Amino acid sequence: MKRVLARTVYMVIVLALSSVAVFYAIRLSGGDAVAARVPASASAEDREAVREQLGLNDPFHEQYFDYIGSLVSGDLGNSLTNNAQIGSMLTEHGRNSLILGAAAFILVFGVGIPLGMLASLRRNSWWDGGIMTFSVAGMAVPNFWLALLAVWLFATQLGWLPSAGCCSPKQLVLPAVVLAMEGLALTVRMTRSAMLENLNQDFVRTLRSGGLSEVKVIGRHVFRNALVPIVSLAGLRIGQIVGYALVVETIFGWPGLGQVLVNAVLRRDYPVAQFFSLVLVTIVLLSNWLADVGYSVVNPRLRRG
Amino acid sequence: MTDQNLTHLETWDRRQAEYEESRRVGPIKATFDRMLRNRLLLFGTVLGLIVLGAGFVGPTISGADPNLQNFSATHLPPGSEGNLLGTDHLGRDQAVRVFIGIRVSLMVAAGVTLISLAFGLVLGMFAGFLGGWRDRTIRGVVDFVWGFPLILVAVLFAGGLGEGLFPVILAVGLVNTAAIARVVRGEVLSLSEREFVEAARAGGLSTPRIMWRHLFPNILAPALVLASYYVAVAIIAEAALSFIGLGAQPPTPSLGGMVSDGRNFLHINPWASTIPGVTIVLLVLSVSLIGDGLRDVFDPRLRHEAKGVEQE
Repeated sequence: MKRVLARTVYMVIVLALSSVAVFYAIRLSGGDAVAARVPASASAEDREAVREQLGLNDPFHEQYFDYIGSLVSGDLGNSLTNNAQIGSMLTEHGRNSLILGAAAFILVFGVGIPLGMLASLRRNSWWDGGIMTFSVAGMAVPNFWLALLAVWLFATQLGWLPSAGCCSPKQLVLPAVVLAMEGLALTVRMTRSAMLENLNQDFVRTLRSGGLSEVKVIGRHVFRNALVPIVSLAGLRIGQIVGYALVVETIFGWPGLGQVLVNAVLRRDYPVAQFFSLVLVTIVLLSNWLADVGYSVVNPRLRRG
Repeated sequence: MTDQNLTHLETWDRRQAEYEESRRVGPIKATFDRMLRNRLLLFGTVLGLIVLGAGFVGPTISGADPNLQNFSATHLPPGSEGNLLGTDHLGRDQAVRVFIGIRVSLMVAAGVTLISLAFGLVLGMFAGFLGGWRDRTIRGVVDFVWGFPLILVAVLFAGGLGEGLFPVILAVGLVNTAAIARVVRGEVLSLSEREFVEAARAGGLSTPRIMWRHLFPNILAPALVLASYYVAVAIIAEAALSFIGLGAQPPTPSLGGMVSDGRNFLHINPWASTIPGVTIVLLVLSVSLIGDGLRDVFDPRLRHEAKGVEQE
């Protein structure tokens, strides 16, 4: 309990510090924001007027607290490129990202854990070899390259699935699989090694010699123990999915938070870049916090500390 | 007996054999012999030398301009007359561009590795050896940075500094610094318990001297091995960022950018993205094999740590 509280306080402090860092980083490109708003032929005075109007000449801490104040009051501002309201961008793209992220998350655990179990229970068989080869390949191939291969095979050659777009179930398949691949491969490996470790324990032999059926030994005892390290790392997988979503959403034209942020950075749309940087940083920090807390909840040995 | 115990015994036996061999033929030759015997390392090195050679010798031999456009010869397949690997949608020679792209990848990787190795070593050694509030401060910062996905950090840097290779190097260097500092700190903590450090302390040596003369040489080999693992990470990150337009900017040819250019023409000329894509995979593969091989040769104990960095 003490640990959970400590981690929560730590997370809040870090969140505050990161918001300052993100704010400052995006402000560094403030000059470009001016350039984006005035024609190239504008005079120095005009530029200065725009700077003043944007509040870029105020002291840094004032700008920061103004910004946080406007966030709290729900006034998120508008995009510089198409004047869209950032608030409605958040709900729309947030929903899309949630769909993609949830699909990838389900794949990582829903497919990764059964595959890892199969590999461990049929150890040194063809199943094991095949699954582990798949797992090594999943970690070695860069995801943008995997995305391209998948588009080439399933969209260009076979024509089974669309190559890009949002948000029908068919369009979801490729981005979700590509986004999940590395986490899936890692989960398979971890499940396999955690299962093997537990299968070799003395309590398993005791249970078996006590006449418990194999299904119960595996399901109730071995699997439950093996699940601890895997589930406790679910938070880290979320962070990983957020990072890769930046690339995968851009490749597949999936209009989620990652694509919005990348496009905003490329177009120097700094109110959008700033806000969505903060959103993604917050998600990552929350998932790291979840990983920390999850670990101490499922691992009784850490509870005292 | 469980598998784990068996591996420990094997490792112990092997270390014993290695020790005796180095007594017989001298440490340098023994290490070199071990490197030659390691097939992974050998294969990775040969593959790496081929890719490296293509990157450094290739452009010098051909002497051609990677950005020379020729609109009468676009989308040529590999093996065409005068264009060994074909041409892209602007009729630029793919071979020359791939060669320069390899060079760009390696330059980024070198920059990242220098930054992360230098800062990672210093931070990790200070945190591990000095302990106390310095340890807590460094660890707090390092854990914080390490908790962020690499690509997100790079996009934030690009948001602040603009697109280009420089922010990519800084961002990837920062995250890798944290990763290396974590492992170095752990190694230093366990080294500090050893008798030779105790002896140096008892002998009245100053803290900087112990760190420099006694800890640093012991930490360097595992840190180098770890760094070679992060070279692969850096290459993939640069390619991914160039692919989404935040890394190398045109006209600089980069492998990720070439894959991205070619993807609009997958149906007419799949080679345009396949060739740079395969090059990235080969580059990453050779670097990983070299890293794995070096680890086996120098420090079998690191096997678990390099693989488990993410799982701690």
